[in-house]
Parts: sequence; C-alpha cells; structure tokens
Amino acid sequence: MEPTVGEVRTLLVGDDSLTEGLHEGLIVRGHMVATVATRSFGNPEALTAAVDTAVALLGRTDLVVHVPRQPIDPVPLVDQTTSNWVAACEAPMTEALAVVRACRPHLVGGSRLTWVVPTVALGGAAGFAGAAAAAEGIRSLAKGAARQWGSEGIGTAVLAVAPEVAFGPDAGAPLAATTTLADPALARPGNPIYDLAPILSFLADPASAALTGATLVADGGVWMSP
Amino acid sequence: MTGTLLLRDRVALITGGGSGLGLGMATAMAHHGAVVVLACRRPETGEPAAAAIRDAGYDARCVQCDVTSAEDLEAAVASTVTTHGRLDCLVHNAVASPGPPSLVEEVDHDRWDALVATSLRAVFDGARAAYPHLRATGGSMVVMTSASGIEGSASLPGYAMVKAAQRTLAKGLAVEWGPDGIRVNCIAPLGLTDALSAACRANPVLEERLVRRTPLGRLGDPIEDVGSAAVFLASDLARYVTGQTLVVDGGGFLGL
Repeated sequence: MEPTVGEVRTLLVGDDSLTEGLHEGLIVRGHMVATVATRSFGNPEALTAAVDTAVALLGRTDLVVHVPRQPIDPVPLVDQTTSNWVAACEAPMTEALAVVRACRPHLVGGSRLTWVVPTVALGGAAGFAGAAAAAEGIRSLAKGAARQWGSEGIGTAVLAVAPEVAFGPDAGAPLAATTTLADPALARPGNPIYDLAPILSFLADPASAALTGATLVADGGVWMSP
Repeated sequence: MTGTLLLRDRVALITGGGSGLGLGMATAMAHHGAVVVLACRRPETGEPAAAAIRDAGYDARCVQCDVTSAEDLEAAVASTVTTHGRLDCLVHNAVASPGPPSLVEEVDHDRWDALVATSLRAVFDGARAAYPHLRATGGSMVVMTSASGIEGSASLPGYAMVKAAQRTLAKGLAVEWGPDGIRVNCIAPLGLTDALSAACRANPVLEERLVRRTPLGRLGDPIEDVGSAAVFLASDLARYVTGQTLVVDGGGFLGL
C-alpha cells in the first residue's frame, strides 16, 4: 500500500498478476500509486478502511483502477458448483459495487474510476460464462455511474483487455482464438506495463475529460467494434 | 393470433409465467401449439393464469417455483418432463423488483442480493437443470433482459448490472451449448404489463415519456408483441439464431 511518488495519484484495487503489471507500468509513467489488495479484506467495511488509509497516503485520488478477480481455469457452466459460480460471477460484481461505495467519497471533479475487465464481456466465453457475465455487469455499472457523476465532473471508464491478459495465456489464448477469424492486428495481446498502463495514464489526463462511461478495448486489435 | 402453429407439440417452461410479460409469452406460445408450464412463486396467481389459457382452448398448467431455490427449479423442470415427456424451451423471465431509483454507491444490499438471486443465480440453476432435456430435444433457452443493461442506468444501476450480465451469460451459454444443438437468446422488451399500467396511472407523464421515445408510438403488447418474439426464438424459424438479444421495444433502443 505504500505509495510511490509521482504526479498522478492513483489508487489500484486488485491483487493478481495483471494488477502487479499495471502497478509497475503506472510507476513507469510517473504515477503515485497505492494498492489495496482485494484479498486483504473480507467485508465491505474492511475495504472501506483500506481505501481510506490508501487515499490518506496519496493525499488525493485522481484515478481509481479496479481489477476484479478472474477465475484461472475454464469450467463449463453445467459442471460448475454453486461456489464456482459465485466466485466467477457474483463476487466480482459485488466487489465492484463495494469499490464504488468505498471510493465515492474520495472522487471529486476531474477524477475517474476505471475497471479493467476481459473482452469476453462483449462476446461471452465458453468455460468462463460467469466471469464474462460479471464483466459485462461491471461495464453497465460504469455507464450508470458515469451518468450519475458526470455533472460533478467525475468520470468512469472500462479498459477491456485480451483474455490472455485477464485469464493467463493457457486459458486465455484459446478464447482469443475463437473471438475472430482474423489474427490480432498488433500480433500481441497487450503488455500490462507497456501497453495497458499508458492507457490508464490517458484516462487520468484532462485530455480524456470528454470520455466517460465508455469501454476502451486494448486487446491487440481483435475486437474492433463499434 | 392466426397462421401456422410454430410450436406444435413443443413444451415450454416459463418462470414468472403467472403475470405480466411471462404470462404474455406463455399465452402466445400456447396459441402456437405449445404446452406451457407456468413456474410461479405464488400459485394463487399462477393457477388462475393457467386456467385462463386452458379456458381459451390451450394446454397450460402451473407449478409452484421460487426461482431463488435451485431445488424448486429442478423440481419444476422434472415435473415438466415427467408430465409432458420433454422440454423444448426454458424462458427465464422471473425477476425481483428493481426497487426505487438509487445512487450507484447506495445500491441496497438486500435489493442487490435479490436481483442477483432471481436474474443470475436462477439462470445458472435453471440452465443446469434444463440442460440434459434441452439437449435431448435440440431446444432453446430465452432470457428476458433489458436495454437498460446495455445503456447503463442512471436510476437503477443495480438492475442494469444484472440485466447486462444476463446478456453475456446467454452468449457464453450459446457458445457452450451450440455443439449440443441448444440455442440461447435474450429478449429486451418494452411491454405494457399490469405493473407498468399501474405505474403509468400513478404517473401519467411516464407513459407519455415512454411513448415519445418509441418510434412505433406505443408500448408493446405482452402477447402480440413480446410474446411473438418469444415464439419466434423458440421456433424453428430461429434455428440459426443464438447468442443474440432481440430488442422488442418499438424502436426505443437502437444502440445494438
């Protein structure tokens, strides 16, 4: 949670390898970053306390980035246990709402809350049906929050990343291969440090102020709609 | 409703089938030859609804089913298959009340849990219960979602979240079940249900606003408009349609 000195004050909520990569990339970009590891809290009150502490260390919050947890292994829906389902689908959305509640008091005009989700939100995914559904639910949350907070100058956004990045290469690559007949235009899924963190920097910059509630797809050029 | 019977000898199970859009879809499907089973939390609502369909000369019955109970959903599916020999279509229509408008940071915990239980966990449990039977018939599943999930809602963000999640869940199921010949689709409706009628009576401006943003200039009829969409998706006319959302709202939402 110890922040690193920089100009843009960024609160990063998450605890997987993607979060770690984004953290490193944001530091490279000169952000001051405090991280709240989601595994460190077991209830919304603990999350709120952790966020409050992190924001106190940062001094202010320009950008909040939430990276909801993702399952690692694909499981067909009919083979899932209820606990599989809850962990993949219900828990990430409930966590996203908890992050909203915890962070809302710290968001002021010019700041932004951003979620990082897999692109399977857009098209569904065999073996990850629950996780994909949760990601789409979170995209809707970002839109609703954008509509409510826009008049205060508070923005939201979603960064949609390649399945390989969200779920890991073993599980993600087969998903990516079924998304489109075309090869990824950039021939790589997107490196968290060098490809994805810079987009988060843009989302913290006043230059992106007119963008809110939107999903930026950064998957190496697989999804190209709308 | 006239013409070819698109669902002759098919069997459909409709959750939340005792009233509103669920009853509208059940009625339309019955008109097209389907045996319809209304899965209803409150039999006092579902039984008269099924009786009304039977009185019109069609085949319908009610089973008690609280969709927040996996056991109830399994029992409803089992009862349908035991009684009628097959299951061709599961329509997931039941949903908890979205409640009053709220800020995103103030989405009520209990309301959220109820929305997740009825709109997502129930799809999960219902899908698992229905899967072997839909595979046996090459059947389909229809999930009732909302354009608010796609647009994001400034007034009902929790409701919009679960409705958005339903769409992508349906896409995932469509991919997983496609090789088994099972199709999964969504309907995003705008239907003049009893509940919406009551809301419009209480707030006359509401109906005016809804109609004004609807190019076809009217609210959808639960049977003729929304029900017809369910008939289409359950029928062989849609045999090559899966993973899709059919927006049936008179053109109000054009963002797909």
